[in-house]
Amino acid sequence: MTATGIEANDNAAGAPRPVRHRAAPPRRIHVAGLVSVVTGLLLWELLSRFVIANPLFLAAPTQIVAAILSLARSGELGHHVAISGLEFAIGYVLASIIGIALGLAVASSATVKRACQPWISGLYATPTIALAPLFILWFGIGIWSKVLVVIFLVLFPVTINTEAGLRTTSPRLIEMLRSFGATPRQIFLKVSLPSATPFILAGLKLGIGRGLIAVVVAELFGSRAGLGRLISQSADAFNMPELFAGVIVLAVAGIVMTAGFSWIERTLVPWTRD
Amino acid sequence: MTAKLTVARLDKRFDALEALRAIDISVAPGEFISVVGPSGCGKTTFLRIVAGLEAATAGQVLIDGRAVTGPGSNRGFVFQNDNLLPWRTVLGNAMIGPEVAGRAGAAEKRRTLDLLRLVGLEGFEDYHPRQLSGGMRQRVNLARALAIDPDILLMDEPFSALDAQTREIMQTELLRIWEQGRKTVLFVTHQIDEAVFLSDRVLVFARRPGRLQESVDVTLPRPRALAIKRTPEFVRYVDHIWRLIEDDVRASVIEERA
Repeated sequence: MTATGIEANDNAAGAPRPVRHRAAPPRRIHVAGLVSVVTGLLLWELLSRFVIANPLFLAAPTQIVAAILSLARSGELGHHVAISGLEFAIGYVLASIIGIALGLAVASSATVKRACQPWISGLYATPTIALAPLFILWFGIGIWSKVLVVIFLVLFPVTINTEAGLRTTSPRLIEMLRSFGATPRQIFLKVSLPSATPFILAGLKLGIGRGLIAVVVAELFGSRAGLGRLISQSADAFNMPELFAGVIVLAVAGIVMTAGFSWIERTLVPWTRD
Repeated sequence: MTAKLTVARLDKRFDALEALRAIDISVAPGEFISVVGPSGCGKTTFLRIVAGLEAATAGQVLIDGRAVTGPGSNRGFVFQNDNLLPWRTVLGNAMIGPEVAGRAGAAEKRRTLDLLRLVGLEGFEDYHPRQLSGGMRQRVNLARALAIDPDILLMDEPFSALDAQTREIMQTELLRIWEQGRKTVLFVTHQIDEAVFLSDRVLVFARRPGRLQESVDVTLPRPRALAIKRTPEFVRYVDHIWRLIEDDVRASVIEERA
């Protein structure tokens, strides 16, 4: 290969040229979101102060912030968050591991798939959260009954997505690797697994919301501490600011974790963006 | 000279469909062979059998006298769709062959970088497929097949998805690259002018069943420039091949419409 050859090629009509990335969305969109949120909060504040004007029914955003600050100062909020966080973390991690493993097993064998499919589809469609009282009866009001509920709610979307991701691996890519004499193991590691990764991450992301619901609802049925406990206690006492404080902390946790996951997706599977 | 590739009494059936019947071909080392024919003539199936991606129903494919039983590193396959792994860089994609063979060392990497330069992708080693144009992706596809240093390059309509101008550029590029190493090439296409421009010999296939109708020697001088496509000699070759397959093409077009 000579230097003249490279030049000739670079001048040719079909010569490679870098493709530009799409431009970032204009700033206006961020502004619109901000204006919408601020307006919403303002309306909420006015509604609760001047229209409803009854602290037994609705707390204003400023009252909620005050409640959050005072709960945080007393250490009560930290305790609830720690308990719920622990329940969520243990359940979520276990469900992710089991879910991915189960998805791999189902995808690897038609027999395993036929055996597991009715259970997976059935339990995914069932509102298993309704089993929470049963789990509390079996495992007590400590954290393990909640962990189990989290596992039940997070497990199936992860399993289903893992299996779907592996199943929808492009046959063309598999054939490409086969043309180089790749073994089934190499095909799995170099094609199937990477191409299933976006699906697996989507399943895990779906699991965040479901896991948070699991923690709170299970705590509502019976618990000593946790954000669900805080919410049910506050409801019993008609303490609206503290009730909303619990809800807001949960909402923020969900938003932050989902946003963190989107960041992980952008980092790990950037090819799915376009 | 002994044959690089010999195909002997090759048959292929897909249940009731007779895809290929009694194909006999002998290819000399360094020969550039194109296979043309109407759709449904089994030309891609033929290439896939030589690649070892598909098994023959009867007959044999021999490379250097040894029977083909599956894919092997003596053949590099260039796919119609580039089939690049979207999560890998250009270099990572081109290195997949050596990697699968368990020899992705520094020497292989250097060789692959040289190949990427050869196909005109210098400076794009760290780009991802989504950042590349169709023509560039096919260059990676070609470099990937060359990275295992195969004896035979098997190309399945690699330029069919490109626009007409890019395709012509890629044809000259392919010849330039081929002149460097003079590998044996089996090139499947439905473009007659592409086949004539590139090849030493054009195998014309007929359909129902897929069979070798005629082998046309192309004696145009090398190296060839695009301008050769406008010479009367070149046009005579194209006309001749077109007349061979015209009836079959009409039949297949009518069938597809039905």
